[in-house]
Amino acid sequence: MSSVTPKQKAAALSTVELDRRAALKLLASGMALSLASCGKPPEEIVPYVDQPERLVPGIPLKFATTLDMAGYGRGVIAISVEGRPIKVEGNPRHPASLGATDVFAEASVLTLYDPDRSKAPRGPKGIASWDAFGDALRTQMEKEKTRAGAGLRLVSGRITSPTLLRQIDGLLKQFPQARWYRYEPVSDDNERDGAIMAFGRPLTPLPRIGEAAVILSLNADFLGSGPHQIANGRAFASARKADAGAEQFLRLYVAEPVLSLTGANADHWLAIRPELIRNIALTVAATLRGEKANAPLPPEAEHFAAAAAADLKSKAGKAIVMAGRAQPAELHALCHTINNMLHAPVDLIEPVDPAGKHGEALHAFADDLSNSRIETLLILDANPAYDAPRELGFKAGFPKLPFSAHLGLYDDETAAICHWHLPLSHTLESWSDLRAFDGTASIVQPLIRPLYDTRSMHQVLALLGGALSPVSYDLVRETWQPRGGDDFDSWWRQVLHDGVIAQTRHAAVSAQPRTIAIKPAASPAESVLVLAPDPSIWDGRHANNAWLQECPKPLSKETWGNTLSVSSRDAQQLRCATGDVITLKYKDVSVEAVVRVTANQAGGAYATTLGYGRRKAGAIGDGAGFDVYPLRGIDEPWLMSGVTIAKTGKTRDIPTTQGQFRLEGETTQFLPRVSLAALAAGLKGPPFEEGPKPTLYPPVQNDDPYAWAMVIDTAACIGCNACLVACQAENNVPVVGPDQILRSRVMHWLRVDTYTDANGGIQGFQPVPCMHCEHAPCEPVCPVAASVHDREGLNVQVYNRCIGTRFCQSNCPYKVRRFNWFGYADDEEYANLGEPPIKAQHNPDVTVRGRGVMEKCTYCVQRISRARRNAEKENRTIKEGEVVTACQAACPTRAISFGNLKDARAHVNALRKEKRHYELLGHLGTRPRTTYLARLINPNPDFGEAKS
Amino acid sequence: MSSLALNRIDTPPADTERWVLPSGQSDEAVNRIVSAPLLQPHKWTWRAWWIAFAVSGAMTVMMIVSASWLLIRGVGVWGNNTTVVWGFGIANYVWWIGIGNAGTLISSMLLLMRQHWRASINRFAEAMTLFAASIAGLFPILHLGRPLYFYWLTPYPNTMLLWPQWRSALIWDFWAILSYLLFSIVFWYVGLIPDFATLRDRARSNLPRKVYGALALGWRGSARHWHFYEIYHKAMAALAVPLVVSLHSVVGLDFAASLMPGWAETIFPPYFVVGAMYSGFAMVVVLAALVRWGFRMQAIITVSHFDVMAKVMLMASIVMGLSYATEWFDAWYGGDHAERSLVTFMFTGSYAPIYFVMLFCNVLAPQAFWLPAVRRSVFAVFVIAVIINVGMWLERILIILNTLSHTHLPSMRHLFFPTIWDWTLLFGSLGFFTFMFLIFVRLVPSVSMHEVRHILHEGAQR
Repeated sequence: MSSVTPKQKAAALSTVELDRRAALKLLASGMALSLASCGKPPEEIVPYVDQPERLVPGIPLKFATTLDMAGYGRGVIAISVEGRPIKVEGNPRHPASLGATDVFAEASVLTLYDPDRSKAPRGPKGIASWDAFGDALRTQMEKEKTRAGAGLRLVSGRITSPTLLRQIDGLLKQFPQARWYRYEPVSDDNERDGAIMAFGRPLTPLPRIGEAAVILSLNADFLGSGPHQIANGRAFASARKADAGAEQFLRLYVAEPVLSLTGANADHWLAIRPELIRNIALTVAATLRGEKANAPLPPEAEHFAAAAAADLKSKAGKAIVMAGRAQPAELHALCHTINNMLHAPVDLIEPVDPAGKHGEALHAFADDLSNSRIETLLILDANPAYDAPRELGFKAGFPKLPFSAHLGLYDDETAAICHWHLPLSHTLESWSDLRAFDGTASIVQPLIRPLYDTRSMHQVLALLGGALSPVSYDLVRETWQPRGGDDFDSWWRQVLHDGVIAQTRHAAVSAQPRTIAIKPAASPAESVLVLAPDPSIWDGRHANNAWLQECPKPLSKETWGNTLSVSSRDAQQLRCATGDVITLKYKDVSVEAVVRVTANQAGGAYATTLGYGRRKAGAIGDGAGFDVYPLRGIDEPWLMSGVTIAKTGKTRDIPTTQGQFRLEGETTQFLPRVSLAALAAGLKGPPFEEGPKPTLYPPVQNDDPYAWAMVIDTAACIGCNACLVACQAENNVPVVGPDQILRSRVMHWLRVDTYTDANGGIQGFQPVPCMHCEHAPCEPVCPVAASVHDREGLNVQVYNRCIGTRFCQSNCPYKVRRFNWFGYADDEEYANLGEPPIKAQHNPDVTVRGRGVMEKCTYCVQRISRARRNAEKENRTIKEGEVVTACQAACPTRAISFGNLKDARAHVNALRKEKRHYELLGHLGTRPRTTYLARLINPNPDFGEAKS
Repeated sequence: MSSLALNRIDTPPADTERWVLPSGQSDEAVNRIVSAPLLQPHKWTWRAWWIAFAVSGAMTVMMIVSASWLLIRGVGVWGNNTTVVWGFGIANYVWWIGIGNAGTLISSMLLLMRQHWRASINRFAEAMTLFAASIAGLFPILHLGRPLYFYWLTPYPNTMLLWPQWRSALIWDFWAILSYLLFSIVFWYVGLIPDFATLRDRARSNLPRKVYGALALGWRGSARHWHFYEIYHKAMAALAVPLVVSLHSVVGLDFAASLMPGWAETIFPPYFVVGAMYSGFAMVVVLAALVRWGFRMQAIITVSHFDVMAKVMLMASIVMGLSYATEWFDAWYGGDHAERSLVTFMFTGSYAPIYFVMLFCNVLAPQAFWLPAVRRSVFAVFVIAVIINVGMWLERILIILNTLSHTHLPSMRHLFFPTIWDWTLLFGSLGFFTFMFLIFVRLVPSVSMHEVRHILHEGAQR
């Protein structure tokens, strides 16, 4: 070993040129650094510099805040561990959360720590500073001032934040000639226009699903993803309670071209071309008026419409008709008329999103672009370069702009063609406010200081207005000052604590709809493409979230991409099969898509979802799936009539988590469906009423006060996947990536099984966590006792004892165990998921598993453990409701119950005595602690054979 | 090849001549035939041996590379998935351990049954056992998620006071392999001692004399030596039979002691023992044909040997066929949905073509042995034995794939697709086996000289 003598070192050092200037520079930068690192936070914020008294390391803190979903607020309680938000749960006080979450809320913490988030402003010459942007903007705004903002344009998605609206309003007053264009790829123009047609103003209907006894959904996916999903799901489940009685128990009719989550939960489901749906509405309207309908329908649909209409009529006052966003405005207007005839439980409120039509905004924007009227363009957290319709001519118009800036979380497609890209703070990093779909306002409070040099939208808008160093906190407080009154600070504290601002819900208004005459549609000849937002990544904005990408879509179980679903009839005609790559052509645009053949679709309709085929989403989202935005027009965002399909001869594997095998009639055993009448008559035979199975082992007797158990009500499960992503977030479940999924390797501890009938029709959903069997087959087979039972009845896996024989999983009848084939969380992570920021999301109470060990659902043992510690400190036993598992907390419909069997009053004990109670594979004698309640269906007895 | 192909003897020989041809019917002739390749290697053409050595050496390197990559990257390089958590690793293990059974069966069970013809084949069959069992022992370790902790299967004293979990079939398995391996080494080596002495006495150069002398442990061939040897040998044989039966029964219990359809069957232990004997015999036939051809041992390994071994395989194939039929019948008769649908899946599911090939190899093809002409054609017996070995491997992989792919809950049913690393390890292990066997035949007498001499004398006494 050659060693460097101190003399040589000194010689080497002396060669560095260290003149006076350089020394002063170093000194100055050192001082600046030390000042910056020890500075006080500029605003009140959760993470601490001096440890506050209430903060105990290891004890998580919970804060109410609000996350946005397509611009609407969704209240959450964020869990913060030593200043790091690691999990969000629902806020029971918030009307869009009701204590539950959806997949997007659960996944938001991963986006916060996404290594691909942009970290610093980027100017025309590369990485720049906010000051540099401020200078450039000021010059530009000086110009705008001289012409009253004639060249200033703001483009954004939906904005419901009162503070932002106030700021934009102020800005537009300051620059009267400036324009703000608001559009969402998932627009509600048809709904809005329908209301205008019916009521003369854009009222938003809010159906009170909980009070309904019959609902006819005309292509309305009210249980599917969206700002209303949680509230609608909760109401839907409450309207279908087993003890409701046949009169009150909700019956759901759904007519739609492509099976949706709502359709999968329907009692009667009809596959019909989207154009013909209006004829069903016309038939219903005519029946209600006592007239004869003059709208031609195929015989099956006619039967459906007649049955639905009769049912609606008989339950007037408790019957609702809903139309979907893809249906034309006339149909929405007609539905208002029908609901009025039915005295339907539907509230009408003034729109929460005050901006006008999305389509009009896009037209105006396109017009401005093509006529070069834009001088200063600010894009606020929108991505038109990816998701704007083809007419916009974005690519052609953009380079000509003198000044363009993009504010967003990612350096995305739009950022790439703007002069400036400005990094946006994540919702969990900034102060703001949001309104829920019903108008309820709530405050967005930060859980962490911005991780990078990012700013909030408030700050950027204030910058635009000429402010020098705007502070979001002050801006938000300013908005609410009038409401808070004299004792503003205590009002503010209360609002932050509650997570909602009381009495901000928009009051229902009464309005009488006009009668609109609409013509029946003729049977269409051409094929139609039906688009919908994606259940996993919505409109594409969540494309770089690995949890969401890997979240199996509720119906197709696809991950990491979209497919073009084709009805089996069309597939036969086109001679294509699942996995074929085809060219989808509409007008002069064509897109390559992968086919998935399904039985649950109307012939002549092809369907796919938005949001895929991102080009600059990041390491996770790039290249997954195909992009259908180029096919969309401003005025035809959802249905494209006249699409053609051509085979390419190529095939591609679709990464799915279920569906390599056809079901062989197991559904009645594993996911029994019972009607109300059958339930009343009593359920006989397996899987119900199975007696105890013979066993060689003596019964386990211990005096432990706990015996944990879970009961999952499959009747309530709508298949939304919130539990699955919640489990992933809570338990540090790694992402494996599309290649591993293709090799049938998944890590989700909790999966949602989909059962179908012989024809492929969805029969229901069944969340499957570990069963925690009392006679667990995994335990006796483990040679090293890594799979063992604890005194409270948990089947626990000792990770550091596991050597990976996988005997446990091969012997598990439920196949709920998950093996780390590679170091999915141990230096062999997918894409960039091994980078340091991601590690900040990990739940410190849960071990991150290494390569070669088996893992599985623990019933959130860390939560049980915390409850036990708290109880023992107070010298008592854990009370009912004190332990809430992550999946249970997330569930919008409260399908999951968890509790202590030794507590006689525990809810799980009551549920286990229900008639619908059954054990999955109970005949094997495993004595599972996770048990199920059978699915309840409510088919119309007058319908003839139930079709669902 | 012609000598291999049809070496027919039309007239049935006398009892001795049936097992040892006249050209080998003196003690010294036997010694000469067997020891020639060891003591006079320069008088021998080793071309075929060198080619085989090079090929199998290359395959051994392939196995080392494959195993190293497995250890570096993790067991995920194999095709196993969340549902089919076991795959080639376990199938290879069961197959190799099955082959490893036959040597001991031949040397002990046939010894106890006074089937003296076994003397000509038991030596290399025992060597085969040793190599196969060693290779088999590697697979369960390579198959582990964390192979570095394989020793946790042993009850070693540790600070955490943790012992293995004795209810697990894998622990029984671990002990079964270990004891079998140790037993096989001892049994094989002690059987070799008289032959090492023969070689020591006939060696002309210094080094072999010293090496074989050391290995012979001072064997002088005195009556007292032979007396102890005979007692020892019989006692070991008596121990070996239950050991070998228990070994493969335990392997069967790896599957049977479970809850999975197609595995939880009481027939598994005997069915696995027969299967093991079957594939082992087939491998012995393959090796016998090669040794006989390679070392010109037609005088000692006669066509009659192939004839009897073919009969054994025929019997085994019938038992196997019956076992399969019992499985199908039980599934139907038991009425359990999971069992019935599994059998349907075996015949109509994704692996059905492989299943039919397996049935052909294991049940149908050996039926040719009903014909004496086939039994007495060394080439035909050789080919069918290879087919049986392929069939038995398919059986082992299908036991795993069918049951695991077609699990209870339909949502988790997934197929298994092997990767390049699965295949390289399988073929690499074959190469490694050949490699070790080739070294064996160059250093150790591949036929037990003293036992063949024994046959001669027994024949003469009659």
